[in-house]
Amino acid sequence: MKVILVWTSPNPERTIAVAMRRCYSTKPIEEIEAELEQKGAEYWRYLLTKAMQDKSLDVLEHFTLTLLVEGAGEAEVSGLVRNFPYLRVTRLKEADWLVTMNARTLVELWRDSRGRSFAGMVVNELEGRAVCPIFSELAFGERVNAS
Amino acid sequence: MRVKLLYHTDLGAIKSVLAREGVQFDPEAMMDHVNYMFEIEDCSRVTTHQLVRHRAVSYDQESQRFSAATKEGVVMPSSIKTNEAAYKAYDEALKMVYAAYEKMVAAGVPKEDARYILPSAIKTKLVMTLNARSLMHLVWQRTALQAQWEIRELATTLHLLAQEATPELWTKIIER
Repeated sequence: MKVILVWTSPNPERTIAVAMRRCYSTKPIEEIEAELEQKGAEYWRYLLTKAMQDKSLDVLEHFTLTLLVEGAGEAEVSGLVRNFPYLRVTRLKEADWLVTMNARTLVELWRDSRGRSFAGMVVNELEGRAVCPIFSELAFGERVNAS
Repeated sequence: MRVKLLYHTDLGAIKSVLAREGVQFDPEAMMDHVNYMFEIEDCSRVTTHQLVRHRAVSYDQESQRFSAATKEGVVMPSSIKTNEAAYKAYDEALKMVYAAYEKMVAAGVPKEDARYILPSAIKTKLVMTLNARSLMHLVWQRTALQAQWEIRELATTLHLLAQEATPELWTKIIER
């Protein structure tokens, strides 16, 4: 099975930080975004760390990604969809699938033995493209070798 | 009310994968793969209570546990605004409620407890992420004539923004 990233929400870590700040700020969105830009990546790390520690995983749902999964059998994909109902899957060809999910589902896949192997491939793909290094470190950092 | 589209999935990226795979673009099938993130500001909590009944949608909303409420931040329906007696009753009740809220906060009651007295008319802000299929269902239900004016206004705006961003998915509203 091969996983290829098709699309991910722009600046995913800042997007998660926007969702977190939205809960606690009365400011309009432009001010929240400006504040997050000005404070930079270390502040996003602080917010993400807090979300992971508090188990406030809802904020991760705003980071969405679409993948091309090649060479996956029907039984394998059905098993994933049955156990993780928020995965969105469309069959493109015999063994090729378009899969869309959010980062919360990715964390849930990662933490569950039934989803770990697939999640590992997605995480490797995200890391290979340096999409979300802070999130990756915080959510999947205990990984020694998932490949 | 103000609504802003913060991001949406790039249909071009999905289409190039489909082309590479030799698969025709089917808007109906692709609705699961296109996501939108919106910021919604200054609509009432009446409307967000209706909004969050839509499932498979991600919401993060301004908390009343930590931010202070003000009398200026309320929505006034036009049926009240244009009716002198109703306007007076509404205004008086709001003054009374907010005076009580402020008194309680000043007396040391935490905002999260003082807020129990606040009206549903209070303005709120939230971010919402959902896919085109969920949004189409929301638009179909909440732009219907039976829906209330404020959520109709919201659903109409969400529809316009999504249609502008990804016109190929919105050539028709599919009933579900």
